[in-house]
Amino acid sequence: MSLPMRLRRAGMYVLLTAIALVFVGPFLILLSAGLKPAGQAVFSFPPDIVPRPPVLDWAVEAWTAIPFPTYLLNSVIYVGVTVPLYIVVSALCAYPLALMTFRGKNLIFFAILSTMFLPSEVMLIPRFLVVSELGMADTFAGVILPGVLSAFGIFLLRQTFAGVPREVVDAARTDGCHELRIFWHVMLPAARPTLAILGIFGFISVWNSFIWPLVVLKDSAKYPVALGIAYLAGITGTDVRSLAAGTIISIIPVVIVFMIMQRHVLEGMRGAVKG
Amino acid sequence: MAAGRIPGQRWYTPYLFVIPALVLFGVFFAWPAITAIQLSFLEYDVVSQPVFIGVENFTRIAGDGRFWTALLNSLLFLVGMFPLLVVVPLLLAVLVNQRLPGIRTFRMLYYLPVVTSMVAVGVAWEYVFHQQGVLNWILTGAGLLDQPIQYLLDPFWALPALVLVEGWKSMGFYMMIYLAGLQTIPTNLYEAAKVDGATAWHRLRHITVPLMVPYIAVAVTVEMLDAMQAFTSIYVMTRGGPQDATLTLGYYIWSAAFEHYEMGYASAMGLVLWVLMIAMAVLNYRLTRGRTVMP
Repeated sequence: MSLPMRLRRAGMYVLLTAIALVFVGPFLILLSAGLKPAGQAVFSFPPDIVPRPPVLDWAVEAWTAIPFPTYLLNSVIYVGVTVPLYIVVSALCAYPLALMTFRGKNLIFFAILSTMFLPSEVMLIPRFLVVSELGMADTFAGVILPGVLSAFGIFLLRQTFAGVPREVVDAARTDGCHELRIFWHVMLPAARPTLAILGIFGFISVWNSFIWPLVVLKDSAKYPVALGIAYLAGITGTDVRSLAAGTIISIIPVVIVFMIMQRHVLEGMRGAVKG
Repeated sequence: MAAGRIPGQRWYTPYLFVIPALVLFGVFFAWPAITAIQLSFLEYDVVSQPVFIGVENFTRIAGDGRFWTALLNSLLFLVGMFPLLVVVPLLLAVLVNQRLPGIRTFRMLYYLPVVTSMVAVGVAWEYVFHQQGVLNWILTGAGLLDQPIQYLLDPFWALPALVLVEGWKSMGFYMMIYLAGLQTIPTNLYEAAKVDGATAWHRLRHITVPLMVPYIAVAVTVEMLDAMQAFTSIYVMTRGGPQDATLTLGYYIWSAAFEHYEMGYASAMGLVLWVLMIAMAVLNYRLTRGRTVMP
């Protein structure tokens, strides 16, 4: 590589790193604030980022100021129930839409697609009233069930199923396989990458969900962790250090899952746009 | 195989598969959508019986100064987020579309704010915006400010500050939309242009942008829907203040319904927002559809 090329490349990395700092910086500031000892100022000109020494006191304080373990467990329950349900419902619905012919097929497909064009603010109020009518206000079911139907999931899986070679399906059918067996033993394994993508996107969106649980839940013992953080931030007298520490704890699970599965997330985005 | 008889399949087999989705659709989408329309002609505070009041909610909207403030603020969000979500991410996508070792790591870092909750992002930016925070240090240090500003308490700066936060959080998402598009452009187009002596700017202007029109259209649509629905950042950082400076339609609707229990009035505002969003999506579709992809 020639010298000008090398300089160009070095310059490119400087630029890429500077931009990365813009995206990661606010989280680093939060991390730094959450780890600083009591004697070190959180805010100063010039900024004093490195905690000397890093302490976990504020993480402990945040952990006990609000029922943190409960909120984390709640979020795990919301994710753990919503995501499998949403994948199963989407896959079941996508299968006949992709591979069977029946009356009302297009109507069903367009009805489901139309849900993408209902803004969440508009649906918030009537959905809250419906959920209350069903006796599900302030319950886990009330938080979970409205989030199970996803036009995005059905759409993506329908594309995937339609891409499975017809011969495979027809061969299984002539062997006398029941449709449910074909679905379970042929289609689901073939759609594994798409299922992984839906799983991760589902995890991220349920873990971060805010406005719907805010509306449905009255009892703070059922809060997911994002609501818990807003609650912590709203308590007057919460120390800026413990708020920072608590916020960092709340994003660690989702950041870890994202880092492990990042290739799927970014590939999945591409597939979704093309689909 | 079209409608041919499939062994072991009864006429109702497909319906059994779609039933769970259809039930959820009926209960959590169709029923609420109809309820939303009904509600906007009612006065309803959840406790007492709903009263039919005709179009009174809509005439009230027309005379409600806060509604117009909220609409204006939502439109300011829309306009302010446009460069952040439609223009900048295209440049970012071009940048991370290069074949360089470690480029995946940079893509991941730029995407990080997308996967974190808006609540966490809001809290993080409160530290950045602090009077003694990093932003004030940079701006005063660079001589752009005489003295530090409390951005979230300033009626002029609060809205731009929130626009910045919302834009910053979603940039990575739009970058990936564009990256998907960029990877469909054959590289030999760029090589041919280089041979002809086209500069980087010319290649961007005359190859990338024209070929990306369909993706730009997607980004614009998603940006409009996103901007018109901004809520969580406002809830966490400003609660619509100071002096309604960050009161958006989404926040006003939520506040009318769940702080003041005016379900009918809030639903009527929701319907207006809905109609506005559909109109914008249609307009955007009309404007971009006719564009030829190749220059």
